[in-house]
Amino acid sequence: MISTKKECVVMLLAGGQGSRLGSLTSKIAKPSVPFGGKYRIIDFTLSNCVNSNLDTVGVLTQYQPLILNSYIGDGKPWDLDRLNGGIAILPPYQRVDDSEWYSGTANAIYQNIDFIDRHNPEYVLVLSGDHIYKMDYSYMINYHKEKEADCTISVIDVPIIEASRFGILSSDDEGKIIDFEEKPAKPKSTHASMGIYVFTWEKLKKYLDIDYKDEKSSNDFGKDVIPLMLNSGEKVYSYEFKGYWKDVGTIDSLWQANMDLLGDDGFELSGDWVIYSRHIEKPPHYIGANATVKNSIVAEGAVILGTVENSIIFSGVKVNENAVIRDSVIMADVIIGENAVVNYSIIDELCKIGSSLKVGNPKNNSDITVIPRESTLINK
Amino acid sequence: MNALGIIFSDIYDWNMSELASHRSVAAIPFGGRYRLVDFTLSNMVNSGLNKMCIITKSNYRSLMEHVGSGKDWDLSRKKGGILIFPPYALGDNHGLFQGRLDALKRVLDYISSSKEKYVVLSDCDMIYNINYKDVIKFHEEKNAEITAVYTKTNIDRESSIHKILYTVNEYKRANDILVYPITEGEHNVGLNTWVINKDFLVILIYDAIAHNLKDFSYDVLAANVKTMKIYGYEYDGYYAHIDSLKSYYDNSMELLCMNKLNSLFYAKTGPIYTKIKDSPPTKYGNNADIKSSLIASGCTIEGSVYNSIIFRGVEIGKNSVVKNSILMQHTTIGENTHLDSIITDTYALVKNDRVLLGYSSCPFFIKKYSII
Repeated sequence: MISTKKECVVMLLAGGQGSRLGSLTSKIAKPSVPFGGKYRIIDFTLSNCVNSNLDTVGVLTQYQPLILNSYIGDGKPWDLDRLNGGIAILPPYQRVDDSEWYSGTANAIYQNIDFIDRHNPEYVLVLSGDHIYKMDYSYMINYHKEKEADCTISVIDVPIIEASRFGILSSDDEGKIIDFEEKPAKPKSTHASMGIYVFTWEKLKKYLDIDYKDEKSSNDFGKDVIPLMLNSGEKVYSYEFKGYWKDVGTIDSLWQANMDLLGDDGFELSGDWVIYSRHIEKPPHYIGANATVKNSIVAEGAVILGTVENSIIFSGVKVNENAVIRDSVIMADVIIGENAVVNYSIIDELCKIGSSLKVGNPKNNSDITVIPRESTLINK
Repeated sequence: MNALGIIFSDIYDWNMSELASHRSVAAIPFGGRYRLVDFTLSNMVNSGLNKMCIITKSNYRSLMEHVGSGKDWDLSRKKGGILIFPPYALGDNHGLFQGRLDALKRVLDYISSSKEKYVVLSDCDMIYNINYKDVIKFHEEKNAEITAVYTKTNIDRESSIHKILYTVNEYKRANDILVYPITEGEHNVGLNTWVINKDFLVILIYDAIAHNLKDFSYDVLAANVKTMKIYGYEYDGYYAHIDSLKSYYDNSMELLCMNKLNSLFYAKTGPIYTKIKDSPPTKYGNNADIKSSLIASGCTIEGSVYNSIIFRGVEIGKNSVVKNSILMQHTTIGENTHLDSIITDTYALVKNDRVLLGYSSCPFFIKKYSII
């Protein structure tokens, strides 16, 4: 069967383990980590795609895909259950001559060349499933077309002290990239790669093939393919993105991104750029007669009888009488017992915190405490 | 499940003028994020029915928009699924239907061509959780022709005129049916839900055509109570009848009591489904003060909310106080505004520094799109 031609196919990298998130990703892939009261991290990229009118998305999975697969399902919540295109989950698969895991980001795309070719696109947009941001990709694709580029990399300005955590790009006045360094010790600029690439499909296919045949390559876009294209003299451009963008690869950044949802000057979930998510049917949340809720986000189905300050409360959470939650992220269906005190913590889904228990230490004099999924903590 | 569902969106809208002035009774918002039809639809879906229709009369736009393809109730199906029947002309049957039987006449083809053995008829003005499987089992055991669902409760004269009362014998067979009586005290109050054998319903409709009968309650139930096998199935759980603005307000406020809330939303019959709106979770500001309230998603609340029901997408500004009130979807309350015992319809705007007071026995209603 020949599929309808699509101008641009999205390949969403969602197979990473996210080992720096510790116990939060021991059973689930990083893109399916819960975020912001009712979302999972991948919702942001998927919603960006749909809102940018991109309707053909391949999701590359590898590490712990069970929850991610069932969460994505047929793609209906993101309006990606389409007659032509829609969403496809692409795990590594067995072939006649060889079979291998995805050895790197570029290799994951290489192994799915057939999927992309079915849609016969002009361009391929490569995304990571672990960033929190709102972005209209159509502007970036138009920029790529205007520049007649072979590859366009989205960049964001980062503080110079943080620059050595990222891939740093230097470009000329036209936006053409002249230098690219992955995690440099002495960064030459503050333009960090966001891990968002638009490729002209024909060119990408060529370089994926060269990269695959290079036994020394680690088959990674940032480390191998982009430097290879630059060294071969291809037109690689940078596209400047202005707005909120957060890589939530660490416990600290995940906590911070959640907290950025509070107040007026962080990241706003509401607005016309709707973030879609798979919905679990729950009634409105209930706030009891003796409860206090301040500077917080509360999702559906939560019952708050105690105190919640500077926190993110997911759906179905129950905070019992006189319990106190501060500076914390409480994920779905957690039960906090009476008189319990939770400070500066991330409590994963389905945990039970016994009454009068203390979890975490006040912010400013400790690290974030993480309670793994389905833990039951009780007073001894 | 061997039953077809037929839902009437608005049989009783005459006394709901404020809430139903621009929408059908089925589309009246309730409980922070639902519309009345959700409770009936969810009962049907949770009972395993997968083919049903909604018969509407007028003002059905918001209902159609709400139900859509039915996918949010898992009713967008290859076999069965949901259909909405707006009024349409059938032969010389023009104009709006004049009663339940008249409405059924117009969907006779839909009913008679269905393969299901039973039909569940239900209105949207009653909110309760039931598993129709239990009613159908009872119906089969009694070998009944019609089974009416009722609950034993106290009523007053004001509300009795909107109710159907059943008197049943020791075998639960109805021996008297009072339609819209003036009475008070404890009665078997009908929940406007009936199970009928489909073939029998078709015969009733033929008979109604032949004799020009229009009203199901008078012309079928009350008129034939002695000859037909009409049984009563007793239900004894949470129940609310929305038959006036006052009962709407009282029943809404009752949800602020935890055990009522639990018995409606966390019943063992299953969840209440509604249209998915993708609104973000609700955001509370630094000076928010919230007590005893039911609050849906997508709201931004900077002020104080006491003893109130807040629907999706409501905004409440700084230093404002909302007490004993129901604010429907997308109501906006400015700063330094004080509301007590107010019901705002959708998209109402109350600007800064306003003071609006109703009273709990007589809540003040603010119309859709009003600007105060």
